[in-house]
Amino acid sequence: MGTISSAFHLISGALNADQSALSIIANNVANANTPGYTEETPNWRENDPVSINGVTYGAGVSQDGASSVRDRVLTQRLNQQQQMAAASSSRLAALNAIQALFTPDSGSDAARAGDIGSDITSFFNSFATLEANPTNNALRQQVLSTATTLAGDISNAAASLNQQRAALDQEAAGIIGQVNALSAAIAKLNGQIQSISPNGDAGVLEDQRQLDLSKLSQLIGINQITTENNGLSITTTSGQTLVSENSNYPITTGLVNGLTHFFIGTADVTSQLTSGGGALGGYLTARDQDIPQAMDSLDQLAFGISTQVNAMNNAGTGYDGTQGTGTDASGTVGNGTVPLYIFREPAQVAGSAALMSVAMTDPDKIAAAGFGQGAGSNGNAVNLAGLLNGPLFRPLATSNFSLTQHLNSAAASVTSKIQVYDASGKNYTATLTFTNQGGNTWDYAISLNDPAVSATNATGQLQFDANGNLVAPAANVNGIAFSGFSNGAGPMTLTWGLYDAAGKGLITQTSAPSAQLAQSQDGSGLSNNRSPVNFFSNFVTMLGARVAEVQTENTAENASVTQLQNQNNALSAVNLNNEAVAMQQLERSYQAASKVFAILNTIMASALNLGVQTSVS
Amino acid sequence: MQAFQQYVSCPHLRELVVEATLALARLDAERLEELALSCRALNRDLAGLSEAESAERNRQAREASGQMAVFGRVLDATRANLEVMDRLSERRGRREYTSSRAAISAGPWALAEKNHGHD
Repeated sequence: MGTISSAFHLISGALNADQSALSIIANNVANANTPGYTEETPNWRENDPVSINGVTYGAGVSQDGASSVRDRVLTQRLNQQQQMAAASSSRLAALNAIQALFTPDSGSDAARAGDIGSDITSFFNSFATLEANPTNNALRQQVLSTATTLAGDISNAAASLNQQRAALDQEAAGIIGQVNALSAAIAKLNGQIQSISPNGDAGVLEDQRQLDLSKLSQLIGINQITTENNGLSITTTSGQTLVSENSNYPITTGLVNGLTHFFIGTADVTSQLTSGGGALGGYLTARDQDIPQAMDSLDQLAFGISTQVNAMNNAGTGYDGTQGTGTDASGTVGNGTVPLYIFREPAQVAGSAALMSVAMTDPDKIAAAGFGQGAGSNGNAVNLAGLLNGPLFRPLATSNFSLTQHLNSAAASVTSKIQVYDASGKNYTATLTFTNQGGNTWDYAISLNDPAVSATNATGQLQFDANGNLVAPAANVNGIAFSGFSNGAGPMTLTWGLYDAAGKGLITQTSAPSAQLAQSQDGSGLSNNRSPVNFFSNFVTMLGARVAEVQTENTAENASVTQLQNQNNALSAVNLNNEAVAMQQLERSYQAASKVFAILNTIMASALNLGVQTSVS
Repeated sequence: MQAFQQYVSCPHLRELVVEATLALARLDAERLEELALSCRALNRDLAGLSEAESAERNRQAREASGQMAVFGRVLDATRANLEVMDRLSERRGRREYTSSRAAISAGPWALAEKNHGHD
């Protein structure tokens, strides 16, 4: 009886297994178009052996469920590529919008940023035209008219950039709602999967989790960490936890200096999310890097043109005989009481573009004549027209300085001076007063020759050892700040370098006479060696190059995502030959590309280090 | 001079780098192998350039440096993809070829690839 029963069981078990397998296949077919669904294969299990009359027979197979054909290594790699591609896609969209703004003749009525190059030429050429007939009122009006067009286009471009930045800020903030919803869903799925299927593939639940992970990867950069019982923890690429087991940690937002910042708990993770990838990373890169860089270039252009034209016009005489208050090239100071500024005078580079406007309303104040010249003279108009081809002024505020200074131990006090520059390029004399307190200790105080400024952290104490070597402060002094400049320039924050690269103190104290042996600082009021038109042209060129670079990167990343998706699909295919061919194509392409890269690298290394011979054959 | 004329009549370095990058993205092995031969010939032609020719080569190299960084990134990404697929093949017991890839890296051209998680 046992024999028949066992044999029957063996046969019926196989039939049941076949039926279950057919059900799984039917399920695969039914879900062929379900997003995120992964093909399942039946799990075959060998039954316990059957013993008949002392002979053991195999007991056939039974089917005890299904496993999805998936590989987390591949899907994680796919997710990584997706987050990189999403980042470059969103950044590219933002860059294209910026580039469109600066395309000639493509702008709307509100912003004709693309015409800035020709605006600059027209403005300075209007001075050249005025040279020929300085008394002509229409030509004077033309100067103000072209100035208004130039200032309007620059300020409108700045306004458009600010609008784009605000739009990106909103886009970025909007993504967080989706991120939090997905991380909550994944946490919930984690709990279900760990409860239902702690030791095997969770099938549809795992499909859903993978789908959510894929969506999340396209929004922000994440890392996935598999935990026990089929659990999953998710962190940002910089390590902040988003999901741990069945708990999620939402990202919150808050405004910092008018921009949305992102927090996990109390930690501000904005910069980490910026570099982390995903659409959010792309938006934040455009918001915090690309647009500020474009704005900085516009600010430099507006600042340079405004201050240089104003200074030149203020060093001349208007048609009504009014002199400016400036100093001309010969050193003559005008006797005017009010500066003859054509543009609103900016106090610092930052914000100059947005605020650029024409301040002059009376064309007779255009100083075509120099100091001491008649109203019909054109000496200063020649100078003004010449600014078209001259270098654009570019100030750089001092942020670091150092002195190599010896202090006489017998002196009661010692003063030492150094030139520094504010954000508008104006130079000041910084005076360092050292007061001997005895016992190898000196007090110091730093001041600037602008009575309006207030100082922070500008006093302190120096301590020397018995050999006169500086021992305290033990490091450079940071955060020496001056603010409230009378010309309206922004705060100047300085670091005083007390030690050289080898760690040797630059201030010493012995019985030798006091002396300043050297000084250095990193500010300047120098030009940037580009004319206004060339500066703008270079800015547009650089912007175009960056767009092209991101475009290429995005194209390559999207292609890479497609390749990985195909590989992922091939995982469930039964045709092993196709998979092998795909792998060989991947390998062969990589090998060939490596050769191209190595040779190009050699060529370029040789080119960039002229004189080095190439060696790759 | 003849070598330089050939050089300047060739596509600029930047275009060459862009094409190689796109071919790699498409996994166009045939085109990449053609480009490898072209680059090899180009490298030979560059020997013994005059000062002016070297200056032109220098300008082109600077112009192409951004694209070279992108090429390096794609190359690194492709190698990472290959490694993933290798590991996958090993796990599935389906490995049917032997990899012998060179240890090429984007090196100085590499932009920081910050977004790698645990793969």
